[in-house]
Amino acid sequence: MKRVLGAGLLCCSLILLLAVSCYSEGGAKLKPPPKAKTIKELAARYDSGKCIECHEEAHDEWSNSLHSRSILGSPRTAPTIVTAVDVGLKKFAFSGVKEDKDLKVEHLMICAKCHLPQLDEATDDVAREIVATIRAWQKAQKDGDEDKTEQLEETIASLNIGCMVCHNKVALIHKYADGYPQPDTVYGAQDGEHESEEFPKMAVAPAMSESILCGQCHGLGPNLEFEHPSQCATLYGSYLFAYVAHGGSETCQECHMKKSELGHDIQAYKDEDMIAMAVDVKVEGRSLFWRKNKAEGVVPIGVIDVELYNKTGHVIPDG
Amino acid sequence: MPFPARLGRGKEMGRGPYEKSGLLRETSLAPLARVHETFEITYPFAEVKKGSVTQRELVNDELKVTVKLLYLPFGEFDSYAVTWFEKEKNLDLKTEWIWH
Repeated sequence: MKRVLGAGLLCCSLILLLAVSCYSEGGAKLKPPPKAKTIKELAARYDSGKCIECHEEAHDEWSNSLHSRSILGSPRTAPTIVTAVDVGLKKFAFSGVKEDKDLKVEHLMICAKCHLPQLDEATDDVAREIVATIRAWQKAQKDGDEDKTEQLEETIASLNIGCMVCHNKVALIHKYADGYPQPDTVYGAQDGEHESEEFPKMAVAPAMSESILCGQCHGLGPNLEFEHPSQCATLYGSYLFAYVAHGGSETCQECHMKKSELGHDIQAYKDEDMIAMAVDVKVEGRSLFWRKNKAEGVVPIGVIDVELYNKTGHVIPDG
Repeated sequence: MPFPARLGRGKEMGRGPYEKSGLLRETSLAPLARVHETFEITYPFAEVKKGSVTQRELVNDELKVTVKLLYLPFGEFDSYAVTWFEKEKNLDLKTEWIWH
């Protein structure tokens, strides 16, 4: 009887194990996909338009966020990338970049690590095409050519932090433990089948709702893994060492997605709701006669006292 | 605001992401921090001669103060600046000015 029970339990365990491993978070490291040779090809690979049919609300929300135009930016990012090439890369003695034709993916990764992480799936031609497109866009703006400006802006914006960046490419952080993202799987909060020919599986990304997911880009400070470290964001550093260290416990997603009710329209300093969530301001005022000093004597002054309380999980401002 | 060190060395602040590394100084509002900023505004007054004595008199005993908190994403009061808070405060000093 004990043997039968034991065998039954073993079967159940195996079935459970099989069920889990069918939709395990990640898998073995696979051969990287062929490199995209053009902006168009790279944009198509990560086109969030594929998700609209079933995830229209999330897509619409995302479309309003800066993630949907991460290279174009506010639009201050695209010109900054060109500045990084002209004032940074071309002036550094050992970067290997003297002209745009010398640019390679590795050079742009100091920006693209966060603004376009999928650039590592493209050829050096794409890196050069991106810079050429931004330059052409700037020229069209200068020339007052609105149609061309709009067309080029669309091309630049086609490269972005779309659905499959967060829900696949960077979804699994600890790859030795969780495995590598698989090309047929969408990572999120659920596992099971996914109604999509291209991505027929869903799997749980263990850190999808944790701050570390966002911390991959909204970072710790200098990205010391690069041959030439760069730095834009310090937010995750501030979150860890100044917020959590002082008792803070909320995650990026809790404030920027849930409490704000903005979902995938992840916003920051420009959004009224986020502003209201960020800082409490109190203003007190009074007046008095102040005996300032011997030279100036008694002076009538108004005193305004402003109290600011940072309710967020990071410094304000960052940069 | 964070003052990133240029190439993470020396005392010069870096501006572009390709040269920013670390922090020289940080004046941002820290998370969960409460800070007070105090502003003193002098009421307009005049020196008025009364007989042999010169004394000070208020030109106006009311002040309308506008307190604005602006977020300057690129450090300039330009079109990118976002107003986070704005409040008008009325102050008055209607008591007698004894020590002129």
